[in-house]
Amino acid sequence: MPIAHEFDYHKPKTLPEAVKLLAEYRGKAKPLAGGTDLIVWLKGGLEKPEAVVDIKALRELGRIVWKKDEALIGALITFSELIDNADVRKKLPVLWEASRTVASVGVRNRATLAGNICSAVPSLDSAPALLVYDAVVHLQGPRGKRQMPLKDFFMGPKKTALAPGELVTGVAVRIPKKKSGGCYAKLGRYAGEDLAQVGLAVLALADNTYRVAHCAVGPVARRAEKIEGLLNGKRLSDILLEEAVRLVDKEISPISDIRSSKEYRLHMTKVMLRRALWAAVNRLAGSGPVAGSSLI
Amino acid sequence: MQKLSQKLEELTVPPISVGPAGGHRVVGKSVERIDGWEKVSGAAKFLEDLDFGPNLLYAALVESPVAHAKIKKIDVRDALKVPGVVKVVTGKDFPYKFGLYMKDRYVFAYDRVRFVGEQVAAVIAWSPKAALRGAAKVKVDYEELPIVLDPVRAIEKNATLIHPDLGNYPHVPWFFPKADTNIAHWRKTRKGDWEKGFREADAVLEDTYFVPRYAHCAIEVHAAVGLYDMSGRLTVWTASQSPFTQRNVFAEALAPLGISHKDVRVITPYVGGGFGGKAGVSMEIIGAALAMTVKGHPVKVLWNRAQEFCNTYQRQGVVAKIKMGVKKNGKITALEHSLYWDAGAYVEYGANVVNAAGLSATNPYRVDNVKIDSICIYTNLPPGGPYRGFGYSEFSFGIESHVTRMAQKIGLDPVEFRRRNHIKEGDTLPYGAHMNPNGLRESIDKVAAEIMWGSKAKSDDPKKAVGKSLVLFWKSPAMPPNAASSAFLKFNEDGSINILISGMEIGQGLLTAMAQIASEILSVPVAKIRVETPDTDRNPYEWQTVGSHVTWGCGNAVKKAALDARDQIFELVQRALHLEKDTLYLEDERVKCRTKPDFELSFASFVIAGIQTEDHTFKGGPIMGRGVFMPEFASAIGDPETGQGGHPNVHYTTGAAGLILEVDKETGKMKIRKVALAVDVGKAINPDLIRGQVVGGLLQGFATVLYEDMRYSEKGKLLNPNFSDYKIPTSLDVPEEIVPIIVEVPQPDGPFGARGVGEHTMIPTASLVANAVEDALGVRIKSMPITAEKVALTVSKG
Repeated sequence: MPIAHEFDYHKPKTLPEAVKLLAEYRGKAKPLAGGTDLIVWLKGGLEKPEAVVDIKALRELGRIVWKKDEALIGALITFSELIDNADVRKKLPVLWEASRTVASVGVRNRATLAGNICSAVPSLDSAPALLVYDAVVHLQGPRGKRQMPLKDFFMGPKKTALAPGELVTGVAVRIPKKKSGGCYAKLGRYAGEDLAQVGLAVLALADNTYRVAHCAVGPVARRAEKIEGLLNGKRLSDILLEEAVRLVDKEISPISDIRSSKEYRLHMTKVMLRRALWAAVNRLAGSGPVAGSSLI
Repeated sequence: MQKLSQKLEELTVPPISVGPAGGHRVVGKSVERIDGWEKVSGAAKFLEDLDFGPNLLYAALVESPVAHAKIKKIDVRDALKVPGVVKVVTGKDFPYKFGLYMKDRYVFAYDRVRFVGEQVAAVIAWSPKAALRGAAKVKVDYEELPIVLDPVRAIEKNATLIHPDLGNYPHVPWFFPKADTNIAHWRKTRKGDWEKGFREADAVLEDTYFVPRYAHCAIEVHAAVGLYDMSGRLTVWTASQSPFTQRNVFAEALAPLGISHKDVRVITPYVGGGFGGKAGVSMEIIGAALAMTVKGHPVKVLWNRAQEFCNTYQRQGVVAKIKMGVKKNGKITALEHSLYWDAGAYVEYGANVVNAAGLSATNPYRVDNVKIDSICIYTNLPPGGPYRGFGYSEFSFGIESHVTRMAQKIGLDPVEFRRRNHIKEGDTLPYGAHMNPNGLRESIDKVAAEIMWGSKAKSDDPKKAVGKSLVLFWKSPAMPPNAASSAFLKFNEDGSINILISGMEIGQGLLTAMAQIASEILSVPVAKIRVETPDTDRNPYEWQTVGSHVTWGCGNAVKKAALDARDQIFELVQRALHLEKDTLYLEDERVKCRTKPDFELSFASFVIAGIQTEDHTFKGGPIMGRGVFMPEFASAIGDPETGQGGHPNVHYTTGAAGLILEVDKETGKMKIRKVALAVDVGKAINPDLIRGQVVGGLLQGFATVLYEDMRYSEKGKLLNPNFSDYKIPTSLDVPEEIVPIIVEVPQPDGPFGARGVGEHTMIPTASLVANAVEDALGVRIKSMPITAEKVALTVSKG
């Protein structure tokens, strides 16, 4: 299907050049990395930018830079690259597990992590995993560089805190200091690739603290702070878990759409919270389900 | 019954004598597909692979945004100003109706639109982009009319009429439209005294079942390229199952423009999936019509995926009301089955789906007292039409759910219930004819054994429950009584063969099966036989590749063509070499003689050049076989009030399927541990190809019950015209174990006893899941699809 809309196309060779181009179009240019969302939107007439700035030639964005307590994932890093990276699997297993549930192999070969958060759809799989790792978004725009916690980046469905002309250059993910076990549980309609109807990431840390984040059950992906508050400092038990499950109604605000009813999303968030918390705690203890296995 | 079998045999093909070794050499063997390497290597050409040269133009459609409206005005002036736009065509340019069984459509909406997505105009341009830009500039003024989406409400008094002129539409004689209503066809089948049957019953169960619409989702979208050349010929390349039917519909619809059948040529390269969606004529008429407006230029109409969902045939939705009475001993005493079909805005093909269901909605049970009403109802949704199963997939959900519940109601095992009631050879069918030979009982028994029916299965996981089910299916080809097949078979200098047919290779392996049939008779290896996709100029007539009938119909034609060629060979050898033709046989590409063991004559030596005789002259010439098949015993004409008196169905293929289903009680997620399907194919020409049909049909069917359904807004707009939200299964969704079981009770008039199998393997799936879910969890779900969500919420509500 052709793109009927006409636009300028640029492929800058350097980051400053890209930032300058995006600034010149005053927010009316769209950056192109994997294009798995943008091209579909262009074809469907949902996006009609004046220009497309292809950032695939910006080599500095195609790297993962590892520090002691952090991985800076460049904006051109695809989900397949995350999945194939042994360090990601070892140090950021929840992100690794979530990446494997994004779309299909073909899409993951092109789709980037940074592009995924820029789309900011409520169902984005990468967000719960990034949120439990306290990810920080690196931005560069007409006014220079800045950093922003991911939880502040999502403003609403398909809305982000990106300023006009600003580019996400990477996502910094914090490697937990303590020993941890985690998982990403995803509800889809079948075993093939699907947009999440419920996505739930859980990270259980050795000091009995817990991080829980969700997607597709509210306007934006976010951390479940009430549930975390209840759990923190306690050993997981079935009784504690049921208390946490009772908080689900207050924690999320799902809607009914073509993919799922509100009722089923609520029901499944509870089922998945039980299964995901136990999976995370068991993985912390060295048992639990095999990495990458579906919990539902 | 012996009599019927014999009669069928006399009417059709003489039995063939096999070679001295006896048995079959190639038929019944899983020879490799003859199109296999071509497809795997990418050499096979599909429509989009063809090059139409530098004069090619592209069309983009202007589509209705509303479900029902009068067209007040169309303004094309701005569209014509777009650079690259050549022409804009609207309904006024083609005020001609067309249709397969009922002429109820225009090429473009003429004075009103009847569904969202209906073609209103086309913009022809030098590039796809320019065409799209032009289409965006066409302004259409609509005056909206009330819409009707629900078939049951559409037949209430004072419902908005979707086709006020219905009474004037030409249609086949076996349709019964009701003028001044939305009823396009009402198939009534009546047998025995059902009121008495219900009075005599010990138990009666009445309920309603709901089936939504479905999309075929062939991976290749619909496409058509039309060329009206300077010599006045119209050639149309289509992605299609029905080249000759398309030629006929194009020629009839465009006759006012001065073209006739001889001028129309349809070429169909390989197609990437059909499933009924590429039968008949849907969007292809646009390609044919547009070509007439740009003489000398090929013009391409290529659907995008959304158009593929919204504006091709869809499987019709149905509301099925079923009432069944049984005796304590399990005997069914009466059945009332009312089917209210959501047939959509045009029913030129879909009404025949309704008709087929109305003749056979008892499913394969012997029921003496029957009342079936199958009602084809216009709605403001996209046109309904054929989809693998042709009505039987749709009604099977209700009737097979109901049969299991009926058995439970009288405390009888559901499989035992089926054993006591299933139809047998010679039994009277709902419309009065007699049932053909079949292996239904063998199918039931083999499937029951395969899924260990009677022993309760358990899961190791306390959150999960396991259920089993076993259901029956049948289906007959739904076709006009005079649907014909034909074949040409040409020998070449080296003794190889080209077979020309117009049966369509749609993935099922037809080309291979036809090569095997000819190979069997002529002793030429399959590797030396080429069979290709049709061109109506070159290949002889085939009605359509639908109804699982081409292995049978086209197979008979090919067999006759091979026998014709063989007769020509024997005649020639007798005439030239003075050997009695009764003593001749074919073996290893040679003519041999039973009384002269030393005699052998290779095909290559004479099939083109002829046989040189003692006086140095040559006798014979190119050997060309010709075969024609038509089921001369069929008739579509019965009493309109009862359906009695005709012989509308040529035969039924029957079978049984069984399921072991694991269900997660919390999430509702279902996993198919095992599915077994036994089908009586008469004779498996190629067993591996049949196993492929079993696997593919089951997967396609399970998708309709577990994931898929077309969702419409209250304004009639399809909400999920994409694979993000219309979920077809992936390789990850394949059942853990699939057991195809081939049963062979020969069809007397089939080639080597074969009958069709393509559609049947999809039919039983929905009721299998419904019955297994109930067995596992004790909840009965009466509407499709049966999604994890529906199961979980039904269970959690208790």
